[in-house]
Amino acid sequence: MSMSQDPLPTARSTMPYDPRRDYRPRTGVLGAVGRSALSNLRGLAELLATLGNAVASISTPGGSARRTAHAVTLTQILFTGVQAVTLVSIIGMLIGATIVIQTSLMVPGADGELLGKILVAVVLRELSPLITAIIVAGRSGTAIATELGNMKVSHEVQALSSLGIDTPRFIVLPRVVASVVSVVVLMVYFSVVAVLSAAVIGQSVLGPSPVELRAGIGRALLPHDLVLFLFKGIGLGTILGWFACHYGLKVQSSPTEVPRQASAAVVKTLLGCVVYDTALTVLFYWFGGPPLR
Amino acid sequence: MIPGLELESASFRYGELWVLRETSLTLQRGSNLVVTGDNGVGKSTFLYVCAGLVPTSTGRVLLDGQVPNQLRPSDLFRHGVRRGFIFHSGGLLSNSSALNNVILPLKYHAETLGLDEAQIDSRARELLSDVRVSQNDFHALPAHLSSGVRRRVSLARALAIQPNFLFFDDPDANLDRATRALVYDMIERFRDDHDVTLLLTSTSRELLDRLQVPVRELAHGHLLEKT
Repeated sequence: MSMSQDPLPTARSTMPYDPRRDYRPRTGVLGAVGRSALSNLRGLAELLATLGNAVASISTPGGSARRTAHAVTLTQILFTGVQAVTLVSIIGMLIGATIVIQTSLMVPGADGELLGKILVAVVLRELSPLITAIIVAGRSGTAIATELGNMKVSHEVQALSSLGIDTPRFIVLPRVVASVVSVVVLMVYFSVVAVLSAAVIGQSVLGPSPVELRAGIGRALLPHDLVLFLFKGIGLGTILGWFACHYGLKVQSSPTEVPRQASAAVVKTLLGCVVYDTALTVLFYWFGGPPLR
Repeated sequence: MIPGLELESASFRYGELWVLRETSLTLQRGSNLVVTGDNGVGKSTFLYVCAGLVPTSTGRVLLDGQVPNQLRPSDLFRHGVRRGFIFHSGGLLSNSSALNNVILPLKYHAETLGLDEAQIDSRARELLSDVRVSQNDFHALPAHLSSGVRRRVSLARALAIQPNFLFFDDPDANLDRATRALVYDMIERFRDDHDVTLLLTSTSRELLDRLQVPVRELAHGHLLEKT
């Protein structure tokens, strides 16, 4: 039987490495287009499966397995969240100061009311989630994808499977949960640092006291903001952990694949985060936010 | 006789290279087999396929009647299929110490294995001592251990789960005489254990002579009888 005639089954595999991906029957241009579309669909299905399997693994029996996964989650929170505090502090401080300086240039003599509105609309609703996500993607997204890629190359993931340890539960879920917790907490922290920085710089450049600024922020904030903030934090954190794990685990056997997949992880994470953030912002103003003027 | 490992018309290929072509094989529980063959024929991949770590292209693999690719690894473990796998290289978690590498499966399956915290720790230490890993190396990362010690830690970790299948890829490659003797002793223990199905790949004449177990040669995707 010749190679091109060998039938390959269509059944999906549950294993991270599937040799059937390598199968490429020879066809024309239409075939190539169709194959590319199918490949993209398969890629999307695999991406969704990575998250789906991780979520489904929550219900897997075994208290000791759960405790082991919790320990991994705590380690990941330390790495993704706690170790990013310094960087988030510096960037938050500089962003707060920049907003005040820009405001003072465009609206000289802006009061606490206006500055509060600007900080809520720009920092709390937009920059805090997005910049936190970018920092975490740059710091931890690449690290997670690289770590998992190297684990694939050195057979660590296969070894875990042979020992009866589930990859979705032991590897993916802890990283996604840690990413969500870290992003939400870092977003709050970023917002606090940026507002404090704006208050200090604002008083010296524009004049409104921190008390006036606090009152301005209080009036600009809506109950919906809390919902938006949480949805952004949870969604962006999920995208970060999920994409980093997915692309890391896509590495098959060659070390040269690791940087390629790490790069794909960051690029696609950033794209995913911006699309998600924009979609939520549009929905927020559409359904419940203050009118755009 | 109870079948341990079964290949049912299993095929696997990397691009143009066939590792297995429609191969059927049954190893009874507790039996042993060494697979030999030239470099690059896919002996390691054959072992991954048999252990269910890589899915077949066609056909299927059964371990104690269970299809490994259709179950979660933890479910397979709970169903009593315990696969000890010692890789030719790698396999140890690079960010965990030797001790933690052995502790991990014990902790993860503590309920199934019926172990508490104290028992897990003492069992892991005992296993490492059994394979003659020095106490000084217990807390070292795999990267800081020699290849011989890494191989012994892998062996200790595989033993930790009380395997009923032992897959050993090129057991005596790059080992000094003392470590080789230790590995041979361990393999002989499993060879004589009627509850453990043992599958090895090797090209070592010394190992084949010493073990005296059935040998098959892997060539062009087929398992050939070898005397």
